[in-house]
Amino acid sequence: MPLHADVAQTETNFNVKASISRNRIQGLWQLLKGYRGRYIGAIFMLGISAVANTASLLLLRYVVDTLLNPEAEPANFFTLLVMTSLLFIGLATMRGGFAFISGAWAAEASEGIALRLRDYMFDHLQHLTFTYHDKMQTGELIQRSTSDIFAIQQFFASQAIGIGRILLLFVVNFAALLWLDVPLALFSVLVVPLVIIMSLVFFQHISKAYEKFQEQDERVSTALQENLSGVRVVKAFARQDYEIERFEKENHEKYELGLSFMRLHAFYWPVTDVLTGYQMLAGFVLGAFLVMAGEGNVFATVGPITLTGISIGTYISYMAMLGWIINPLRNLGRLIVQMTTGMVSYNRLVEVFEEDWELLGLGEKAPVDNVQGNISFKNLNFDYREGPQVLHDIDFDVEAGQTIALLGSTGSGKTTLMALLTRFYDYDNGSILLDGVELNQYPKYFLRDTIGVVEQEPFLFSTSIRENITYGVHREVTDEEVFAATRAAAVHDVILEFPEGYATKVGERGVTLSGGQKQRVTLARTLLKNPKILILDDATSSVDTETESQIRDALNNMMDNRTSFIIAHRIQSVMDADLILVMDKGRIIQRGTHDELMALDGVYRQTYDMQAQIESDLEKEIANVGA
Amino acid sequence: MSEHSFQEEEFDTSLNGGTLLRILGLTRPHWKSVAGFIFAIGMVALLEAYLNFLNAQLIDDAILAGNVDRLWQIATIYGVMWIGFAFLVFTFIYLAGQLSQRVQYDLRKRLFGHLQNLSLSYYTKTPVGWIMSRATSDTERIAELVSWGLIDTTWAVMNITAALGFMFYINWQLTLVVVPLIPVLIYISIWFKERILVHYRESRRYNSEITGDYNEMITGVRIIKGLNREKTSLSEFGKLTRGMYTSSYRAAWYSALFLPAIQIASSLVVGGIIFFGGLQVQNEVGVGLTIGGLNAFIGYITFMLWPVQDMARVYASMQHAIASAERTFSLLDTEAEIVDKPNAIEVDSIAGDITFEDVGFYYNEDDVILENFNLHIKQGETIALVGHTGSGKSTLVNLLCRFYEPTGGRILFGDTDYTDLTQNTIQSRIGMVLQTPHLFSGSIRDNIRYGRLDASDEEVEQAAQLSGAHDFIAEFDDGYEEQVGEGGVLLSTGQKQLISLARAVLSKPELFIMDEATSSVDTITEYLIQKGMEHLMQGRTSVIIAHRLSTIKNADRIIVLDHGKIIEMGSHAELIRQQGHYYTLYTKQFRKEAEAKYRGDGHEEPLTA
Repeated sequence: MPLHADVAQTETNFNVKASISRNRIQGLWQLLKGYRGRYIGAIFMLGISAVANTASLLLLRYVVDTLLNPEAEPANFFTLLVMTSLLFIGLATMRGGFAFISGAWAAEASEGIALRLRDYMFDHLQHLTFTYHDKMQTGELIQRSTSDIFAIQQFFASQAIGIGRILLLFVVNFAALLWLDVPLALFSVLVVPLVIIMSLVFFQHISKAYEKFQEQDERVSTALQENLSGVRVVKAFARQDYEIERFEKENHEKYELGLSFMRLHAFYWPVTDVLTGYQMLAGFVLGAFLVMAGEGNVFATVGPITLTGISIGTYISYMAMLGWIINPLRNLGRLIVQMTTGMVSYNRLVEVFEEDWELLGLGEKAPVDNVQGNISFKNLNFDYREGPQVLHDIDFDVEAGQTIALLGSTGSGKTTLMALLTRFYDYDNGSILLDGVELNQYPKYFLRDTIGVVEQEPFLFSTSIRENITYGVHREVTDEEVFAATRAAAVHDVILEFPEGYATKVGERGVTLSGGQKQRVTLARTLLKNPKILILDDATSSVDTETESQIRDALNNMMDNRTSFIIAHRIQSVMDADLILVMDKGRIIQRGTHDELMALDGVYRQTYDMQAQIESDLEKEIANVGA
Repeated sequence: MSEHSFQEEEFDTSLNGGTLLRILGLTRPHWKSVAGFIFAIGMVALLEAYLNFLNAQLIDDAILAGNVDRLWQIATIYGVMWIGFAFLVFTFIYLAGQLSQRVQYDLRKRLFGHLQNLSLSYYTKTPVGWIMSRATSDTERIAELVSWGLIDTTWAVMNITAALGFMFYINWQLTLVVVPLIPVLIYISIWFKERILVHYRESRRYNSEITGDYNEMITGVRIIKGLNREKTSLSEFGKLTRGMYTSSYRAAWYSALFLPAIQIASSLVVGGIIFFGGLQVQNEVGVGLTIGGLNAFIGYITFMLWPVQDMARVYASMQHAIASAERTFSLLDTEAEIVDKPNAIEVDSIAGDITFEDVGFYYNEDDVILENFNLHIKQGETIALVGHTGSGKSTLVNLLCRFYEPTGGRILFGDTDYTDLTQNTIQSRIGMVLQTPHLFSGSIRDNIRYGRLDASDEEVEQAAQLSGAHDFIAEFDDGYEEQVGEGGVLLSTGQKQLISLARAVLSKPELFIMDEATSSVDTITEYLIQKGMEHLMQGRTSVIIAHRLSTIKNADRIIVLDHGKIIEMGSHAELIRQQGHYYTLYTKQFRKEAEAKYRGDGHEEPLTA
């Protein structure tokens, strides 16, 4: 039981997914794999500890009957006395020692299981499909990752073991009682079934009352929260008194519910006190008569049962054992009710664990070093399982090194089309070829290494700016490389202005970046990855026009030998592209270069005209006012 | 039993007597309950000790003496005592439970009432989460201290005293063997407490980091996937879970060793008693220890283990509660920054011209926001405030509402310095619509009625019609009874604005203040909001923090602010002709709005200069 228990080596190899089962007991048992010896050992140790405890009570019997009996006058009295005293200490040490081992093993097992669940949950979630994450709430998943795993940990650390402890104490002490005197033993546990039933009923009630109390507690918090976040409104309408009255209602209700919850406790404990107290009293009185009858003499015969006298030593150990049998049972109901919550948590975890992973390494086509970047879309149709078709008959070819611009209103399918390239979603109708090979024959991880995406909604992790930029590169990166990327993204100088430069933390515990700055940092992150294929999904929408054109120049230099896709709204951003695709409602409605499209009467020229129109409107407007 | 493990986070290591007294002061109105449960728990401890003593008598006087009458006598005492015992248990649980709920209730009530009077400046400085913790977990801990904390302490003290008392009575020489055990147990207890707490706190820290990591992974999962980051993320996360494993395991390790250590230490004494007791019985050295007496001794020692073992936990939670109390009291002691003057007056109307006279303002002295600011607003005029974030627009509005007061100069309503008026006079005559309109959970009707609590249903609906909110409300299944959800989450921003406009209409304000939303709103709603605003602005002095061209153009006067100074002022036409800041802002905004309109997204992008 070293204090420095290392995480067992089995951790990294344990397959949580393979262990899950719809049968909760079976599933929890599978989860114990690797710790089963420890865990069963922990319960076993508790048993030994209980035996040692009971043995010391029996030793007391010996002390009383032999050593303290003036009539016994044993030989070697002094030696025996010393031996017994030492034995008593020895038994206590055994009892404590085994209880400690049990505790340490149980902790090792339960913490180990919590660890493997936490790790697996993390890995599992980051491997689930986009479709899954699209439909799940973050809060819900976090709840499962934290509270539900904690409940399982508690199940092993405290509930299962606690129930085991109560049962073992009962069995060991009851067995000893039976050994001492069968009729007395049986007479002394008459109340046990009643205590167990009461305990179960009570704790079920209390957990319901507690739930209600908790719900009200949340309402009080909500009321306060609402008041605090609406403090301007409260003040602006001078509604303080009204608010106080409203809060009072919830607050008072919580007080009432708290009281009724306490009242249940105030009844349960004294009632069981009386019950167990009278049971013990009855046992004590019967025992007293048995002692007074004299050891071995028949005291009375009730039907088939003959009551025989017992020694005073037996009586004394009986008194002590009785307490160990009855009192712990009063808590049995609590543990059983808590245990059922732990089991519900297991089910909630299983629901998540049953989801299938997105397989990153699967693919017949081995990764190649020299990706060219030729891409063809052929008769591609796509829909998100539940929902209407999002892409229709997408058909176009891109030669390596070309720049493709996608233009179209929100919801026209541009982003979805790009998400298929990295296989964030799987297509099954039509085909996409990369260098002549069907995309879904490449392993996904390879595609994601080859293709860099700058998303419309920039997402940064709450770590330093530098770590955010190097986030996608799985090797050591020099400062020069980082600076080259940030310069191209026109964000290097901005970063240097932060208090700690590149070491500045972003997010809650650091600086807040503006939308445009975030976009530029994510752009740098992707550029540093140096992908063969680059996708810019409206990536500079929050960047001002001046900086945007600066970025565009830098990108033009970098785009020479890579295939690039640009999603944008403004003509200036797309006019230099080798191929412009105008999309509407999931279809490509126009394609060609800027000059070609300008020659046609279509959406593209309309957009161009519109932007020109705006400028002339503005001039007119201002001229009007000026006149 | 130490079922409750040590509770979270850091707290002061010292016990602050003053705070403790003040905490106890909270129970003053309920001193009868406190006296009641202290008496009950004290009696419980005494009775427990007495029952153990009764066992000794049962063995010695009745059984060993063969006295059946005495046996029945003792049994009767037993029976009566158990009833008394049960009654006492009921009493202390009931009274302490009630007190704990009551103290929480009182504290929350006081906190809430106090919070309503604090100035807005307090809220801008203090995170909502911080205040929430004071009113929730902290009040709970304080209440625990004055109820269960007192119970535990009284019980521990009474238990040990009574046990020692009875032991002395039974055999004082042997008691002397027991006494040295007490400091040893206390020492062990403290030794373990410190170690358990260190690791426990560490594990809590890991736990919150783990939660944070989950959160970030889930929200950023698309990036992780796109960048093939899974392996690295997992191995970084693994460091946290392994750290948590180690610290939790260590805390559990020490906890598992704690009770055995105490038991083993006390078994030394029990062994000693058996030894000396045996010597006494056999050799009749000193005062003989009876068998019942020996049994009672063992009982008392086991008895004393519980409070000692519990002491570490009680002490830790006491420290924790005191830290909670210090924070809570600091909130209660915070004084409102804006207080009505003793002779402040209520007036029937604040309508009239408004003058900013050499107004200066800062939130903190190093960072002056306004200096010698002068502005005269005529009765009925509509003012549009335009400028970058941090230019002072919001400050101006806050001063106008008297959420803050000028740190220099004065603001006049008519000819009266507004600090000579009560806050209530001013604020009950202002209609305010916020940028992110705040709604309270409840029905739409409740929310509109917030503007005037005694308004009839007809008046509420009329206000909704005037503000343009009626049509969309009527489309809901439950109409005006539709629930808006917490903070109005079930409604769109535009709808929330319409409702808060209706709320302002209903209050028939004399001064209308609006902070236009920066988020985009669909064209129809935008039109309705425009109409609602126009209705409110009619004939009333209005100050608008404006983000939309239509609002700005329609204002009587546009004020362009920069760093707390008016850099341009005039009508739309005048400012365009100047070709200054306003001109630049305007052209930029014009392009944005026009583009959005042409694109047909149905959005009108607000000006977010």
